[in-house]
Amino acid sequence: MIRKRLIVVLTINNGVLFRTRNFIPDYRYTLNFIDAWSVDEIIVLDITRPGEGNKENFYTVVEELATKCFVPLAAGGSVRSIEDFRSLLKIGADKVVINTEAFSRPELITEAANTFGSQCVVVSIDAKKRKNGEYEVFTEYGNKSTNTTPNDWAQKAQNFGAGEIMITSIDHDGMLEGYDNELNRLISQNVTIPVLVCGGAGKWQDFVDGFIFGQAEAVCTTNIYHFTESSIKSAKRYLEKNGVFVRI
Amino acid sequence: MVVIVDYNLGNLKSVAAAVERVGAKAIISNARIDIRKADKLILPGVGAFRDGMQNLKTLNLIEPLEEARRKGIPVLGICLGFQLMAKESYEFGHHNGLGWLNASVRKIDTSESRLPIPHVGWNDLIKLKGSPFFEGIPSAALFYYVHSFYVDCEDTEIVIGECEYGMKFTAVAQSGNIYGTQFHPEKSQYYGLVLLKNFIENT
Repeated sequence: MIRKRLIVVLTINNGVLFRTRNFIPDYRYTLNFIDAWSVDEIIVLDITRPGEGNKENFYTVVEELATKCFVPLAAGGSVRSIEDFRSLLKIGADKVVINTEAFSRPELITEAANTFGSQCVVVSIDAKKRKNGEYEVFTEYGNKSTNTTPNDWAQKAQNFGAGEIMITSIDHDGMLEGYDNELNRLISQNVTIPVLVCGGAGKWQDFVDGFIFGQAEAVCTTNIYHFTESSIKSAKRYLEKNGVFVRI
Repeated sequence: MVVIVDYNLGNLKSVAAAVERVGAKAIISNARIDIRKADKLILPGVGAFRDGMQNLKTLNLIEPLEEARRKGIPVLGICLGFQLMAKESYEFGHHNGLGWLNASVRKIDTSESRLPIPHVGWNDLIKLKGSPFFEGIPSAALFYYVHSFYVDCEDTEIVIGECEYGMKFTAVAQSGNIYGTQFHPEKSQYYGLVLLKNFIENT
């Protein structure tokens, strides 16, 4: 039987690993400590703001991860074209994550799915909760309001050929207080493709809640304290004990 | 020397990195001279069957691959590379394959299970037979799969491992010097590397 996945998300600012809090780069770390041996998948995102760094530095990180980590690797951040897809796949990514460009030009999803297969296209959606309790999609690193609900956009992205949806709560990002499972459930119940949930995991129970209450196919963590061999293993043992079928 | 056959489809670098990690020398090539000199051949692949066969033809790779197979050089097909070894595929029409295995490539049937297609993620390898290819692989080992089609072997003798996703299908096949895995050993961490090491050292 297929297992639920635990994914590590690495946010990279000009070639350097950063943790973020509400989408603002926070701590600074090196990549050396990463031990990928019990994580199920890695997502590496370039969060360098336009004009503030060299894209090559990000590509170097992706290439290094691809040759050292023998797990599926997804890469993204500022992906604008089929050529960007091709470049990332060529240096060893297995999937590509797209966000802002997919929202403004959803045909890119279809083009990429037709060229590389839909399993290769991960559409990332960042959402905030408005004062009236409704959710809204934000693009451009969480800065640009879109007047669109994440639910509508997720369904549309699926119809355009997305292979997976990655949903991130901007409000919960880096707060370590758990996922926004109301948001996660809303997306999971309205698409048939796998939903990866992101933003807010601080303890093992948050992962369990992401699967049970958020109905996620995979839970993501950007929390630096989760990035060790023993912590990922212990998280998985905790998940197993709580009835989530994972790879140990 | 391990030659990873470059036919413009697939994650060649990841496969090369994994082969080197287990201590062998790998080159990525589509030159006939390299294929003729290879001790082991790996046919990787991510993509569509028709494109795969088309590329093998355009690059004049079918003849040197056929020659290697006849000489008894161990050949490992991964995912699409494995599927290309079948005699035919029903992916987007009907296409002929290399015909090395008495098998047809068909779509995974999830009409009853209602499971999503493609089958993506970590799933079991159910070993059906002992093989030097499986040395050090326990029965609980998990591998990474990403595919919508599978190799339906008419010759069930060659199926040495299965996987279940709404239905049972071939995870690993072996026929003489021909090996195929539906999953990606190069993306399956420790046990993936063990399997590649077995292919290099035990076959």
